[in-house]
Amino acid sequence: MSEAMIFDAVRTPRGKGKPGGSLHTVRPLDLMTHVLEAIRDRNALDTSRVDDVIAGCVTQTGEQGACIARFAALNAGYDQSAAGVTLNRFCASGLESINQAAAMVASGFADMIIAGGVESMSRVPMGSDGGAIWDAQTQWDIGSVPQGVSADLLATLRGITREAADAFAVESQRRAAEALEAGVFDKSVVPVKDRNGLPLLERDEYPRPGTSVDALAKLNPSFEVMGKQFGIDHLTKSKYPQVESINHIHHAGNSSGIVDGAAAVLIGNAEVGKSMGMKPRAKIRALAATGSEPILMLDGPIPVTRKLLKRAGMELSDIDLFEVNEAFAAVPMAFMQEFEVDPAIVNIHGGAIALGHPLGATGAMLLGTALDLLEERDQSTALVTLCIGGGMGVATVIERV
Amino acid sequence: MSETQTHQNAAVKASFDPANGVATLTLAMPGKVNVLNDVFGHGLKEALDWAKGREGLRGIIIGSAHKDFCAGADIDGLYAERDAARMHKVVTELCALYREIETSGVPVVAALTGSALGGGYELALSCHHRIALNDARVKVGLPEVQLGVIPGAGGTQRLPRIVGIQPALEMILQGQELRAPKALKGGFVDALAESPEALHQAAVKWIHENPKVKQPWDEKKLRIPGPRPGSPDARNIFMGACAMIAKRTAGVFTAPKRAISAMQEGISLKFDEAMKIENRYFVELAISDQAKDMIRTLWYYRNAALKHEGLPKTDDAGLASVAILGAGMMGAGLAFVCAQAGMKVFLKDIKQEALDAGVAHFEAELAKKRHLDDAAKKALRDRMVPTLALEDLEGVDLVIEAVFEDLDLKHRVTKETEPRLSANGIWASNTSAIPITDLAAASAHADRFIGLHFFSPVEKMPLLEIIKGKETSEETLARSLAFCRAIKKLPIVVNDGYGFYTTRVFSAYILEGAQLVAEGHDPVLIEWAARQAGMVVPPLQVFDEVTLTLGLKAMKQGRKYLGEVVDNAGTALLDKIVNAHKRPSKAEGAGFYEYEGGRRKRLWPGLAELAQGKPELTGVEYIADRLLFAQCVQAAHCVADGIIEQRRDAEVGAIFGIGFAPNTGGPLSYMDRMGLDRVVEKLDALAKEAGARYTPPAQLRELAEAGRKYLED
Repeated sequence: MSEAMIFDAVRTPRGKGKPGGSLHTVRPLDLMTHVLEAIRDRNALDTSRVDDVIAGCVTQTGEQGACIARFAALNAGYDQSAAGVTLNRFCASGLESINQAAAMVASGFADMIIAGGVESMSRVPMGSDGGAIWDAQTQWDIGSVPQGVSADLLATLRGITREAADAFAVESQRRAAEALEAGVFDKSVVPVKDRNGLPLLERDEYPRPGTSVDALAKLNPSFEVMGKQFGIDHLTKSKYPQVESINHIHHAGNSSGIVDGAAAVLIGNAEVGKSMGMKPRAKIRALAATGSEPILMLDGPIPVTRKLLKRAGMELSDIDLFEVNEAFAAVPMAFMQEFEVDPAIVNIHGGAIALGHPLGATGAMLLGTALDLLEERDQSTALVTLCIGGGMGVATVIERV
Repeated sequence: MSETQTHQNAAVKASFDPANGVATLTLAMPGKVNVLNDVFGHGLKEALDWAKGREGLRGIIIGSAHKDFCAGADIDGLYAERDAARMHKVVTELCALYREIETSGVPVVAALTGSALGGGYELALSCHHRIALNDARVKVGLPEVQLGVIPGAGGTQRLPRIVGIQPALEMILQGQELRAPKALKGGFVDALAESPEALHQAAVKWIHENPKVKQPWDEKKLRIPGPRPGSPDARNIFMGACAMIAKRTAGVFTAPKRAISAMQEGISLKFDEAMKIENRYFVELAISDQAKDMIRTLWYYRNAALKHEGLPKTDDAGLASVAILGAGMMGAGLAFVCAQAGMKVFLKDIKQEALDAGVAHFEAELAKKRHLDDAAKKALRDRMVPTLALEDLEGVDLVIEAVFEDLDLKHRVTKETEPRLSANGIWASNTSAIPITDLAAASAHADRFIGLHFFSPVEKMPLLEIIKGKETSEETLARSLAFCRAIKKLPIVVNDGYGFYTTRVFSAYILEGAQLVAEGHDPVLIEWAARQAGMVVPPLQVFDEVTLTLGLKAMKQGRKYLGEVVDNAGTALLDKIVNAHKRPSKAEGAGFYEYEGGRRKRLWPGLAELAQGKPELTGVEYIADRLLFAQCVQAAHCVADGIIEQRRDAEVGAIFGIGFAPNTGGPLSYMDRMGLDRVVEKLDALAKEAGARYTPPAQLRELAEAGRKYLED
């Protein structure tokens, strides 16, 4: 067994995921191409030594169909021997790609892999790829409700209130604004330019600095009509008969933002790094994936963290800081509640509520953020985890070397 | 209240009729044309704001005071700009203005009393309704790709949303212009009117009937004709368009490729987002080397040639009658071209069969002119007199000799026929290679003796290479140029020397093709390399068309003028193919290619066995270098030797005469773009490796050493 080292991590800034968003006119292929070019150029990479390019991408249809990883590698001018594979682990696809790359490298089946992900949510809308989750029969055989309803169910089960969720969201905005102001993301964010070199987007554009609890209090819950009026809440009854009424607390202000973006992380063994003159920044210490109950869907970070710690022989106290994806406020809040983690070391620079959640890329972005944070704070170990559609969790622990 | 209100600025005359609520903005820029530039933009904006400020405004009509509605962008501005940010600003401002027109809140009608091309047609597309005069002279179209750019004011986005993806691609990729009646059929205009007055009335009526109109893309749901964007059918159309480009031009032109992308990537987006895509592709092309090189030659040089800039002029050519000697395809075609220009034409041959064939050719050409009525056809026919009798030519003003390429024969014909010329008549030879001074040796009036080298088929090929012999007078040249203008040809004027300019460059090209075959380079690669370098027709294919036999004859003649240097493995190969294998030409059904029923089928597999062996150095890039530099070095010689006087002629002649890669702007542009020091390096290497014919002339070395260019702006 060799160790999987992380040499570098880059990402695009996140653009608002709708017409008018700064990255809306950029094809997802070009977003992914952009980060592949950046990570190659920053590290003077000989791409003929890249075994594979793994890209997470959730909505693999239209412009994101037909294995975007392969075409992005070619489009970036990588040596044609650098292969490409696109994977879908829903919201954790970006982290999953890192984990699979790490597994290949650690096992010795590969020397160097670029892992990451891409999602242009403005150009390829979420859900436009269809799938069995939409089948009526799935409803009766398995159970499947829109994520927002799951998030509200999670909040209800854990007694998370609207006020607490809004306060969490305001804090996420505050932290993100502070980080942007200080330029802490600039180290890993590569500005996106058009084909003529004119700037399109230099920094994350989704955050709303100065968001207040009062402002959020005015927003209507997003999933109440669907849940109550259309009766979706009733589809959770078979599994959660004890819940008398779901408390719909989530809205646009305390849920993750719809954005466009891409990320790439360079992973390889120590030898390949040495031979190419690259210094590893961290190693993948542990990783895990697990399933959880699909109607509740979003509590996966909890069981997967337990599983990971157990397998790695680690304690929670071994972790210096956490990145828990803010798909909905209830998700990191439930995580902190369960493990009694200090909120000060969770999502230190804010999360997807402020910055946005480009589905296939987010996991890789969080990993990069965690890596930068460890270096910034001169700490050793970070855990990254995301909740996932269909009821799953993926987690990764990195450790500086 | 009911009085007409008016407004005028540097670009637009506007009036508002309170009685019907319609404001008419008439584009009326100083001079004869409306052209998109700052004056246009500011004027139209000001007039639009003025119109929007009229109380009781119900709609706007945009028309023109000039012959054309608007023929497009100011090329000077486009050509000069190299900065992406500035270009981006210019184009987005124009696009914002056009957007303002279509979102002004009232119906806007384009009144096309004349042609609307490029940015002018894009203005019409930004109106809600387009009415054109029912006149074949009124055209609409998007010719931008011909100058290396794409429509930059919404053409790639509005047109497909109006007429559908496929028709929009056809117009934009081919730079098509459609006459009004045809434009109506395809939906490129919405209605026709019989007179400018009727057009205005129709526009007012449409405005009154459609008070709430929006552009289709500003409606909640956009339905575009044809396949839905993103559907498999739409994908197939885009794929097909790519394939068509690859087939026709091997993809050497960047603009059509970008036009497809702009349309495909923009068509699914909201309109304002889609425009960003077009803007970016437009800017990329507008500041590109390829566009600059193409614009310089295909716009500036071509226009300068058409205007005879720097050339002697005369008010009176005094060439009312023309005699064509030789009724072959060229002679008969020339007779038609002259008759069409209103001249009295004698088509003379020595054999009745040849004359009959010539007349048949003339008639076939006449039959193609569908827009002429019977009376016009008859008048045209009556101007042409086929004859076998020398005396019929008595007093003719111009003789164009188009007999076989044989010095003795040409001398004989000159001696025999020249006395028939009118007192001040001109003798012209259509020879493609024999020096005019040599031919003029048989003439009693060498000052009135000139070379007029036409290209086949003469009805279609635009170029006329005019060759001055040693004795040719300035007046003879001026009168010949006037003749050139009358028959609507594009002139280049060169000095005398074997092969002049075009033949010298062209024969270097096809002979290099033969030489490469003889050296053992894969003929399939040779043909492909030529195409991907931009050559319009690959060398072996075109050799079959001009006939290998002609090549051999020309070699014989060439030996006389140039010596043994013309002999190489390539000419030996030609000899074998023609004489041992009886494969003389496409016309005979066998040459470098095999033919079935007159159609080219495949390269003749026997070529491999005629090769000397396998070359060490080969491949597409290498072969392309050989083919282009074989021509470039001849162009350089022609400049150095003074064959070329005005350097623009080297570019115009090569592109319009022999199909030299138009994407490069011509051989001199190509060398300039590469850098002359690098060119000298390449030529020296090729001379060493492939033969002394690549050796650069001293003048080219001097230019390179001085860090200069052939074409300094």
